[in-house]
Parts: sequence; structure tokens; C-alpha cells
Amino acid sequence: MPGIDECLLEAMRLPGARGAALVDWTSGLALGTVGDSPGGDPETMAAEAAELARLAAEHRAFAPEGDDGESGPGGAGGTAAGWGQEPPVEDLIISNRDSYHVLRFVTTSFDSSVFLHLWLARAEGNLALARIRLGEMAGRLVLG
Amino acid sequence: MTAVDTNLTTPPPRLPVRDRAAARQRAWGGVSPILGRLAAERATGALVREHGSLYLAEGRVVHAESPAVPGLDVLLTARGTLDADGWRDAVGVAAGRNRVGRFLVESGRIGVGALEVCHLGALYDAAYFALAPSGSPGHFRYGDTHWLGPVRPVPVAAVEHETLRRRALLHRIWPDPAPDSAPLLRSDSPGAPAISARQQAVLDLVDGVRTAADIALALARPTFHTLVDVRRLAAAGVVAPAPAPPPPLLPPGPPGPSGSSAPPAPPGTLPPAFADPNITLLKRLRDALEAL
Repeated sequence: MPGIDECLLEAMRLPGARGAALVDWTSGLALGTVGDSPGGDPETMAAEAAELARLAAEHRAFAPEGDDGESGPGGAGGTAAGWGQEPPVEDLIISNRDSYHVLRFVTTSFDSSVFLHLWLARAEGNLALARIRLGEMAGRLVLG
Repeated sequence: MTAVDTNLTTPPPRLPVRDRAAARQRAWGGVSPILGRLAAERATGALVREHGSLYLAEGRVVHAESPAVPGLDVLLTARGTLDADGWRDAVGVAAGRNRVGRFLVESGRIGVGALEVCHLGALYDAAYFALAPSGSPGHFRYGDTHWLGPVRPVPVAAVEHETLRRRALLHRIWPDPAPDSAPLLRSDSPGAPAISARQQAVLDLVDGVRTAADIALALARPTFHTLVDVRRLAAAGVVAPAPAPPPPLLPPGPPGPSGSSAPPAPPGTLPPAFADPNITLLKRLRDALEAL
């Protein structure tokens, strides 16, 4: 099972990957960063991505049908109701002229608010592949 | 020759100006002056301060603790990431060797990634409180180690920087720090904005008695994360700090000239409900404007 750095390095092996980070969307803290960031400023990147992730996670308009946003799976022995354990959104995709940003929410069995952020060059990147791989990585990162 | 000759190369003596770089380094953070020195000398030990402790190993932060935050044990066991027995076993077996973290991973109780994510969250959370401004100086116990052992050490500068960033973040959300430590009350606010699920979980535990730290512990959620929601709720007018308890309502001395040994009593006898006239006024003003 990978740690944070192994997970981010794996993300960097995706074609077109420019940078990857694991970010806490409540505080805006990057728990780990690998590669480049837009403007060479990983802190600002993390804080701004966190703000976007928080909005997506909190607004009920983006939740799946029938999800009132208040319940999550919870861990064994946990009271799930009202804890908002699992963000209603799986990922966010931003595209611009030269790159993609994929933000993948990570669901943990303890209370957390983290997501993986992958910055992808548009010319070389494969968005569909990146999205699938990032989902797998998010699962493996916090397994167990 | 006594005339002022501006062409001379000897300028008047310069006013003493602080060396900016050195000053910045000294004041780096204004968090804890000795931290930078400890990092530079690659110290190992525990920095014990009023609101918590920071554990260093070779100049890097390996752990932090504070009574204001749920510990790693609470975070990991509250929802069954680990069962309580598993945690106790690990502490029993590996605490003596300061390797509890590694033991948890090696014995298959938790994955490296999950432990790192949870531990980093707990570390920065406790550090925020441990490095809070305090009335008494901290001290460093050389050689002290923590039984958890290293999980993912962090540079001292990163912890200081993040602590300051977090202070600024809370200030931006709602500049009044009163809800951080006081018991919290619900307050009715007309037209309150939608409340997110995570905020609702916090709000459900607001009962006039619990503080933000109590709520964080009950939710097994980092206290800083709870403060973010509490300040947002305060900004929305949904939550307010309970008025301070009224012990100084009747000062022991006669209410005459307030120049005796009594602590600086507020001028006159201001009822506690008006302790924060500015905030109250501003909120009423805002509500009135929004109602237009």
C-alpha cells in the first residue's frame, strides 16, 4: 500500500502529468506535492483548488439524486448520519487552453477532507485515463 | 568649512535600522522564537508550551499534541479505522521502542497512506494550538521522544508557516475569535444561508455548553477544521459564543471608585449582554441591509 509520496509519484507517471498534490480542502494545506505547480506556487495552487473543492463538496446541487448530502457510509462502529463522511462529488475537471486539472475526492474511514489534484498538459494528457487512474489511486492511498 | 556641504562623502550617521533579513528571521512567524534555532541545530526533544507540545527529531517536527484537539487515537478509533483493542495492543507492544506508527503499518492494522493522512492532519491541528500565543514561555526538553515514532516528519518552517496561514484563514472568515474557545449557542438569524452537511454536524452539537474543541472531540474531527465551520456559522449569524459567565457582575468591592485592587473592571457596570457592542451592532446593521 502506497504512502502519500508514492501515490503522487504514481500520478506523475500518467502521460502529460505536470504536477500532483494531496490537499486538504478545509484548511487549504497541501499534505504532499510533486512536480510543478501553475506559477511555481504550490501553496497558492493548493489553497485555490481547496476553495473550489469545498464549494463542490458542500453545494447540494452537485450531489447525486437521492443523496441529501448528510449521510455517508461511516466506518464500522461509526454513526454515519450527519457526519458528511463521503463527499457527494467524486471529481472535478477543469480545462483551459493548455491543461487540465483533475481533482479527485478521497474517501477515508476517519474524518478528513482531502483530495488528489493532478495537473495535466492538454496536448499529451488523456483525460479519461487520468480520471480512472486517479480514482484508483485515491482508493489505494487510504486502504486499510 | 562649517557650512553644510552636501557634496561631502560622509553622510550623517544613519538612524539605527533593523537588519530586515535578520528581523524577518527573528520574527519568522512570531510563532515561537526558539523553534527556528532548534531546527537549525537539528535538535531532538519536545517543545512544551502552554497550549500543547511539539516533538522534534533531528530538527523536524514528528508529532504534536494539544489538549484542545482529538488525538490520533480518537481520530483513528472513533469510526472504526482501528478498533480500540488494536490501538491498545500496538501501543503496548511498540510504545517502549517509540515505533507505534510503524508497528501499526507493519502489523497490517492500517495502510501507510491512511496513517500519513490522518497523522499529518492531527499534527498540523495540534501544532496550531501548541503554537498559539501564550502567556508563559515554552521550554524545550532535549532528548524527549514520542512513543508514536516518526510517521512523516515535517520541516519546522512548514509548521510555523501553516500555523500563521491558518490564523489568517480564520480571520478572513470571521474576524472575531470569541467563538473559538467559548461555549457556543445557536442564534436565530433570518435568512441564514444554506448549511453544509459538515457544518450541520457541528451545529447539531451546539448546546450552549460545548465549545468548538468539545464538538471536535465528539465528532472525532480536527479542531481547526471545526473552527473553520464554527467561524463560518458565526459569520452567518447561526452560532454565537455564549456570553461570558457573570462572576464579575458583583465585584467584591463597593461599586464606588474603581481604582482599588480589583482587576480592570469595565467602566460602569456594563451588562454582559452588551459585551460586544460592535459585533452586535454590525450584525443588526447587516440584517437590516439584507432585508431591504
